[in-house]
Amino acid sequence: MHKLLTLTTLTLTAGAAGATTYPLTLTDDLGRQVTLRSEPKRIVSVLPSDTETLCALGVCDRLVGVDEFSDFPAQVTRLPKVGGLYNPNVEAMVALRPDLVIVSKYGKLAGPLTQAGIPVLAVNPETYDDVFSKTLLLGKVVNREAQAKTLVLNMKRDIARVEILTKNAVRKPTTYFEIDPTPYSIGPNSFMGVLLTKAGARNIIPASLGDFPKVDPEFVVKANPELMLGLDLGTARSRPGWNSIQAVKTGRVLPIPKDLNTILGRPGPRLPQALRGLARLIHPELFR
Amino acid sequence: MARPGPRRLGRTAALVVLLLAVIVLAVGLGSVTIAPGEVLGALWRGLSRAELAGNDVIVWQIRLPRVVMGVVVGACLAVCGGAFQGVFRNPLADPYLLGVASGAGLGATVGIVAGWPRGSIPLAALAAALVAVSVTLGLAREGRRFPPTRLILAGVVVGSVLSAFSTFLILRGEDRAREVLAYTLGDLGFSGWRDVGTVLPYAAVGCGVLIALGRALDTLQLGDLTARSLGVPVERLRLLVVIAASIATAAAVAYVGIIGFVGLIVPHVVRLAWGANHRVLLPVSALLGGALLVLADLLARTTLLSQVGVVTTLLGGPFFLWLLRRERHE
Repeated sequence: MHKLLTLTTLTLTAGAAGATTYPLTLTDDLGRQVTLRSEPKRIVSVLPSDTETLCALGVCDRLVGVDEFSDFPAQVTRLPKVGGLYNPNVEAMVALRPDLVIVSKYGKLAGPLTQAGIPVLAVNPETYDDVFSKTLLLGKVVNREAQAKTLVLNMKRDIARVEILTKNAVRKPTTYFEIDPTPYSIGPNSFMGVLLTKAGARNIIPASLGDFPKVDPEFVVKANPELMLGLDLGTARSRPGWNSIQAVKTGRVLPIPKDLNTILGRPGPRLPQALRGLARLIHPELFR
Repeated sequence: MARPGPRRLGRTAALVVLLLAVIVLAVGLGSVTIAPGEVLGALWRGLSRAELAGNDVIVWQIRLPRVVMGVVVGACLAVCGGAFQGVFRNPLADPYLLGVASGAGLGATVGIVAGWPRGSIPLAALAAALVAVSVTLGLAREGRRFPPTRLILAGVVVGSVLSAFSTFLILRGEDRAREVLAYTLGDLGFSGWRDVGTVLPYAAVGCGVLIALGRALDTLQLGDLTARSLGVPVERLRLLVVIAASIATAAAVAYVGIIGFVGLIVPHVVRLAWGANHRVLLPVSALLGGALLVLADLLARTTLLSQVGVVTTLLGGPFFLWLLRRERHE
C-alpha cells in the first residue's frame, strides 16, 4: 500500500518539473543524514542569512519563529524570537510546533531539538560558492527548486553587472579590510574576500594567512595599502606607525556604513547588494 | 645575611644576556625579517629624530615599543607575583589574586561592548581594576587588619562575580565578543610609545616599592608573630604590598589585557635557581619575566598561536610542571 502510494506520488510529481519529492533525505552541514517526511510548512530559522534566503524563495509565510538577529525582510521582525546563537530558547522553539528548524552548525541546538522529535537541518553558507549552493539546497527543502534556480541566476546577473563596472576601473587600490579592531582581516578566499576582489580592490592579505586572520599590525604597515576599509581615520592615525601608511596619508580610510556592514556579514540573497555597496565605496567614480 | 654567591651572580649575568638577546631577536623578527644592521640603523635614525620610512617605521614605531612594553609588563607581572606569593605565603598567589584582572576585564568589556573610543578602554580597565581591589580590601578588612586568608577569599569571590558580569555583557553584545576575548587573552599589539610611557611610571613605582620591601618580605616568611616581634609592621607592610602590586598590575593589564601564568611561574623558577631571598628574587624575576614575555610575544606574532596570553599559558604551564617534577626527583 505504502509502496503504491509512493509510486503514485512519484508519477504525479514527475510531471511538475523541478518539484521536490518527499520523503527527502539530505546531508546537512553537521554531516548528519536528515529525512524530511513531507514539505515543511512551519519553519523556524535561527540564522539570519537562511531567514533571508527562505523569504527570497517566497516562503516567508512559512516561518513561525526566527532568532533575535533575523531582521530582514521587515515582516520577520514581527515573528516570535527564539534567542540567539549563544542563548537559544529551545522551549520556545518546541512550543511553536515547527516541522523543521534550520540551525547553524555552531551551537548545540541539533541534539535537544532532534530528541524532541523535530527535524533539524544545519545550513551554514560560509564561502562565496556556498551562498548559491545553500540557496539551491533550501529551495529543494521547501519545494521551491525553480524559484531557487531563478534567484541564483538573478543574483549572479546582478553580481556580473557590478563586476563589469569594476573591471573597467582604471586603478584597483591595494586594500586592507578590517573586520574588527584587534585586528582581524579577511583572506581572499573568504566570502567577504571574494566580494572585495570583485568590487575592484586588491586585497593585501595573502590566501596563506587564512580566511579571517588575526593580522600583525606591522604587516599592514609593510603592505602599505592605498585604501583601508572597516575603520575610521582617527583610529588608524592613533595606531603606532600607521601614520606612514599611504591610505592614512591620503585620508582614504573608510568605515563601513552600518547597513552595508550588516549585509556584508550575511551570506544570503542580498550578496549582490553588498557587492554593489562595497564597489561604490571603493570606486565612487564608477557610480556617478 | 645572604650574599649572592659567584654561581648566582653568573646566573644573573646569563639572564641579563638572555634578556638583551631576546630583545634584539624580537626587534629583528616578525612578519617582516629585518637584518641586525638595519635594526641598528633604524634605532639610530629614530634616536636622532630623522625621517622614518619603510622598515624604519616597523622597527622604531611598532616593534621596539611592543618589545619594551613586553619587558615592562613581564617584569611587572613577575615582580607582583613574587611579592604576592611572599606576602601571602602562598605559592599559588599571582598578580591577579585580588581581583585586578577581573576588574580590568569588566571595565574593558563595558567599554568595548558600549562602543567607547579605543583610547578610553585602558582607562576604563584601569579604573575598574582599582575599584575591584578596593572592594576586595574593604570586604577583607577586620578593623585595621587585613588577614591574608580573608584577602584571598574576598579576592577570589570579587573576581568570580566580576567575571560573571563580564560574561553576561559579552553574551549580550555578541558582535563585540571577539574583541573582548582578545583583550581577555592578553595582546601586546598596537602598543606604542605613548602606551609605554603611560604604563612605565606605575610599573616603576609599584615594582620599585616592592623591591625596596624585599627585606621586610623575607622577615615575614618567619610568620606574622615573629616578624612583628622583629619590628616589622606586618599589617602596614601587607597593605603597602597589596596597593603597590595592584597599581602596577592594574596599569599593565589595562594596556595589554590579561596575560596569564607569567606572574605565577616566573617567581617559582627564580626561587628554584636563585633561592627564596626576596631581595634577589624580585629583581631577578623582573629580568626573567621581561625576557619570557617578549619571547612569548615573538612566538605569538610569528606563529598561529597569535595571542601572547595563549603562548604564555600553553608553554609556561607544561614547562612549570616539568620543572616541578624534576625538582622532586633531585
